[in-house]
Amino acid sequence: MIIDTQLASLFTAGALIVIGIFAAVFLDNLIKKVIGLAFIGDGTNLFLIAMGYKPGGIVYIYLPGMARDWFAQNAAYPLPFAMVLTSIVIGASTMAVMLGIIMVLYKKHGSLKASKILGD
Amino acid sequence: MDLLIPLMVIVPIICALFLNLLHKKDRTIKAIAITLALILPLLPILASYGMHYFGGYAPLTENPTLSTGLPSLITGTALKTFHPAITYSFQGAQKLFIFILGLVAFLAIMVSLFETKRPSGVYGFMMFMGVASLTAILLTDDIFNFYVFFEIAALATVGVVLVSQVKGNYETALKYMILGGIASPLLLLGIALLLGVTGNVNITDIISSLKSGMVNPQNPVILMACGLIVFSWLYGSGLPPFHTIKSAIYSKALPHGAALLQAFSVFTFVALGIIILRIFSYLPISQMIILGVSLLAMILGITMALLQTDIKRMFGFLAVGELGYIGLGLGLGTAYGITAGLFQAVNEVLITAFLFIGFGTIYYQTGESDIRKLGGMMIKTPLVALLVLLAGFAMAGVPPLNAFQSKLMLIQASIQAGLPELGVIMILMSIVTFMTFMKAFHAVYMRPKPVELEIKNEKIPQATILALLVFLAVCILFGLFPHLVTGFLQTLSISLAGGMP
Repeated sequence: MIIDTQLASLFTAGALIVIGIFAAVFLDNLIKKVIGLAFIGDGTNLFLIAMGYKPGGIVYIYLPGMARDWFAQNAAYPLPFAMVLTSIVIGASTMAVMLGIIMVLYKKHGSLKASKILGD
Repeated sequence: MDLLIPLMVIVPIICALFLNLLHKKDRTIKAIAITLALILPLLPILASYGMHYFGGYAPLTENPTLSTGLPSLITGTALKTFHPAITYSFQGAQKLFIFILGLVAFLAIMVSLFETKRPSGVYGFMMFMGVASLTAILLTDDIFNFYVFFEIAALATVGVVLVSQVKGNYETALKYMILGGIASPLLLLGIALLLGVTGNVNITDIISSLKSGMVNPQNPVILMACGLIVFSWLYGSGLPPFHTIKSAIYSKALPHGAALLQAFSVFTFVALGIIILRIFSYLPISQMIILGVSLLAMILGITMALLQTDIKRMFGFLAVGELGYIGLGLGLGTAYGITAGLFQAVNEVLITAFLFIGFGTIYYQTGESDIRKLGGMMIKTPLVALLVLLAGFAMAGVPPLNAFQSKLMLIQASIQAGLPELGVIMILMSIVTFMTFMKAFHAVYMRPKPVELEIKNEKIPQATILALLVFLAVCILFGLFPHLVTGFLQTLSISLAGGMP
C-alpha cells in the first residue's frame, strides 16, 4: 500500500510535468503559461519528494534517546527534502520576476496574448 | 583548506548586496564598484589549489575524528568515501577560468560605470551576482549546487537585460525566462534521476558509484538523466535550438552587459560540458551528441550572423557559433582536443567581450546599432577602429593573436582524432566569421557617414579605451605564449580524456 503511494506520487509528478510543458508551449495566455511552468516545477519537486520517501521510515530528526544505529537504519533520506526546499525558493523567485515582467508588458500592450506580445 | 576558495563566491555576492543598498548614490557606487571589481581577478591568483568542504565535512576517510562513534552502517561501507557536504574544487583550470571571468567582469563593470551618466546600483548588483554564480558553477563538485547557481545566473542575466532599458528588452527577457522555466526543472529532474540511481549529488561520488559497479552504468534511467542534463546544457549556453533567444538576449543588453553575459554563457557551456563528459563519457552517445550539437551551433550561429543588420545581434550569433569550436574540442575526447577546446573557450570570452565593448563605443556615441544607419566612424574614432579591427582579426584566428593558436590546435586535434573533415569545416567557418566581421566593420567605419546619423557623445571615455587596450594586450600575450593558458588546462584535459575523476 505504501509503495502504491510512492508510485502514485511519481505518476502524478509525471502528469504535472507533461501538462505543464503542454501549457507552457501551446497556451497563448501568458498567465496560463506561467501556471504551466509552475506545474513543471511542482512536478519535479513532487518527484524528488517521492524519491526520498522511505516505507515505514521516520522523520530524519535525531532526538535525544535514539540509538544511532536504529536512527541510521530507519530515518528517511533527508537530501531530497532539502533539495526541494531550495527548489521551491528558486521557483518562487523566478515566478515573481516573470509575473513582474508580465505586469509591465500588460500595461504596455494592454493584452496577455503571447502571440501579440512575444511574436512567434 | 584555503578560505580564499569560498571567498571567490562570497565576495561578489557581498559586493552585489552592498551596491543594491547604495541605489542612487552615484559617486559612492562608482568608487566601491571599481574597487571591489578589481578584487575579482586577484582572488583566484592568490588562492592556492585544493578542495573546500563546507562546514568542514570532508569524507570520513579523510576525517577520522568525525567518524568516531558513528554506526558501522556508515563507517563500514562505501559511505565513508562519499562527500557529506558541498565541495568546491579549485585546480589549475578553475584558477584560469575564474581569473578570466574576473578580468572580463572588472573591465565590463569599469566601462559601464564610465559610459553611464548615472550608474545604477541595481545594474551592478546583477553583474556581481552573475559573476558570483558563474564562479560557483566553475568551482562546485556538487551537481545540485550547480543547479542553484545555474538558476541564479539565469536570473542575473534577465536582470542585466531588464535594467539595460533597450527597446524590447522586457519581451526578450520574458521569452528567455519561459524557456528557462522549462529547461531548469528538467535539469533538476535529471539531477533527481541521478540521485535516485546513485544516492548522490556529488559528481565525484556519482562517478565512483558508476565505476565501482555499485550502480549499473547501463541503467536506462542514467541515459534519461543524460538527456535531461544535455537539454539544459543547450539552454544554458545558447546552443541550438536556443541560439536565437540567446543572441536576442545579448542584443537587448547594453554592450558592456552583453560582454559579461557572453562570458556567463561560455563558462556555463564549459562547466556543464565538463560535467557531462565526467559522468557520461562511458556512453558513446554522449560524445556524439556534443560533436553534433557543436557542429550545428557553429554552422547555424555563424551563417545566421552573416544575415544580421544589428551589430549586437550579429556578434550574439557569432558568439554562439564560436561555442561550436569549444564543443568540437570537447567532443573529440582526446586530451589535446579538450585542451584546445578549453583554450578556445578562454579566447572566445576575451575576444567577444573585446568586440562587444569595441563596437559598443558606436552605440555609446550614436545610440544606434543598425549597420544600415551607421557609417563614417573611422574619422571620428580612428584608434577604436584599429582596436576593433584587431579584435575581428583575433576572432577570425589571424596570427599572432590568441584564437589563431587555439583554432590551429583544434584543427590539429581533429586530424589526430581521425576527423579531418571537422578541421575543414572549422577553417571554412573561420572565413565566414571574418567575412561577417568585415561586413560590419566596413559598414560602420569605412562607409561615408549618413547625413541623418547624429553623434550624441563625441568623446569616448578613457576607461573604455583602456579596457580595449587590456583586451588587446591579453590577446597578443596568449597568442605569443599559448602555454601560459594550456599549462593550466592539461591536468583537467588528461583526466577528462582518460575517464574521470
